Amino acid sequence: METVINDYVSRELVQDPRLLPLADDTSLLETGILDSLNLLRLVVFLEERFGIAVGDADLLPDNFASVNAICGYVRAREPGKQEAARG
Amino acid sequence: MGDSRAEQALRGLEGVAYWAAVAPLLARLPSAVGYRAACRRGDWLFRRQTGKRAELVSNLLMLGNGLGPAEAQQVARDWFRFSSCEAVDFARLRQGARPLRRLVEVRGREHLEAALAAGKGAILCGAHFGSYHASFSLLHAGGFPVTSIGRWQYKYTAGLSNAERRFWAHVYRRVRRLRQRPNIEPWPGRFQVAAQAAAVLRANEVLTIAIDVPPLDGDRARAVRIPFLGRQARLLPGVATLAQLTGAPVLMCFQHRSADYRHQVLEISAPVPMDGDVATAFGRCTAQVSAAIERSPAHWAYWPSTPDLQTLELRGPDPAPSPAGPLTRADEVAAQHGTADHVPTPG
Repeated sequence: METVINDYVSRELVQDPRLLPLADDTSLLETGILDSLNLLRLVVFLEERFGIAVGDADLLPDNFASVNAICGYVRAREPGKQEAARG
Repeated sequence: MGDSRAEQALRGLEGVAYWAAVAPLLARLPSAVGYRAACRRGDWLFRRQTGKRAELVSNLLMLGNGLGPAEAQQVARDWFRFSSCEAVDFARLRQGARPLRRLVEVRGREHLEAALAAGKGAILCGAHFGSYHASFSLLHAGGFPVTSIGRWQYKYTAGLSNAERRFWAHVYRRVRRLRQRPNIEPWPGRFQVAAQAAAVLRANEVLTIAIDVPPLDGDRARAVRIPFLGRQARLLPGVATLAQLTGAPVLMCFQHRSADYRHQVLEISAPVPMDGDVATAFGRCTAQVSAAIERSPAHWAYWPSTPDLQTLELRGPDPAPSPAGPLTRADEVAAQHGTADHVPTPG
């Protein structure tokens, strides 16, 4: 998952080539990689690729701070995980 | 005239009294009488606010598509009249906006209905043009779930006292009540704005965006240079990106005041094609905004605000000589921050 997300962010969202290669713990907010529209692009990608639904309440800096943080968030939101948590 | 601190304070008090007491009273009179009285107040401001008028006329002469001095004065007078009429529009938003609905003809409603029937929401794209706050509230009152992207400027404008902020919050309460959700307020660092906007569209609701906003410092890197009012302006193309990412149709939306000042037409266009790259798609929207302003310049809010026009890169840093007298410090402040008669508006 880390590789898939890192590839997407590096390919589609990073504007400044000096930020590449992107480490999984690089802050996407402090480096300016993740602005408002890029967050939307990322959300659309995560929903399509991993079959999750990202709600308004989940749009927190902590969930999208880095590739690692995104992976943690997606793992917690994967359908199987959510059912298990409810179950 | 109108330059001293005392005069400026009086002007502010007059504005507060007008918005808080006079306009609500005018809104209860027969519309022909109420709006005629609002125009008289606009004429009075036109005569008294020489600095603001000078700025307005100067910018019109520079960017107003070949307007001559006499025409520019006429447009400036209408600008002040429209500004006063807008307060009456606000006051007529009571009772589910019925008093205002009687005066506004909505054209193109079928485009909006068709867009929502497709299930991807709809983006109403416009500008700080005409009585746009009231028009969006009117649509909401008419059954469309409307949410706006925009800053309530009175919450952030420097130099406003707490009392002034509370006053403007009170003035805008009628508008705020007639929205589906609270405004989505874009500021640098509020990185969830576009995703919140997408959530509105996913819920198959209506999102309004004004695309003529001067970019904030933190957003300048995202702005694109685009033909606008015969020049190259620097504007944010977020509406096109949002439409392309969500598949929501973009419909242009403008409200025009008619020659009798009380009747208005709210015109909603068919969807604008959003194919091609972002700048190309965005250019189709800005072309329509630019054309609307050129056809009816008195409706555009930004004419007296030279700092905003400079941020848009429509004007250079040096102000042109003013045909109506020198620009005073008081008028610079008024142009920059808004006064009670030029309501600080969401961006």
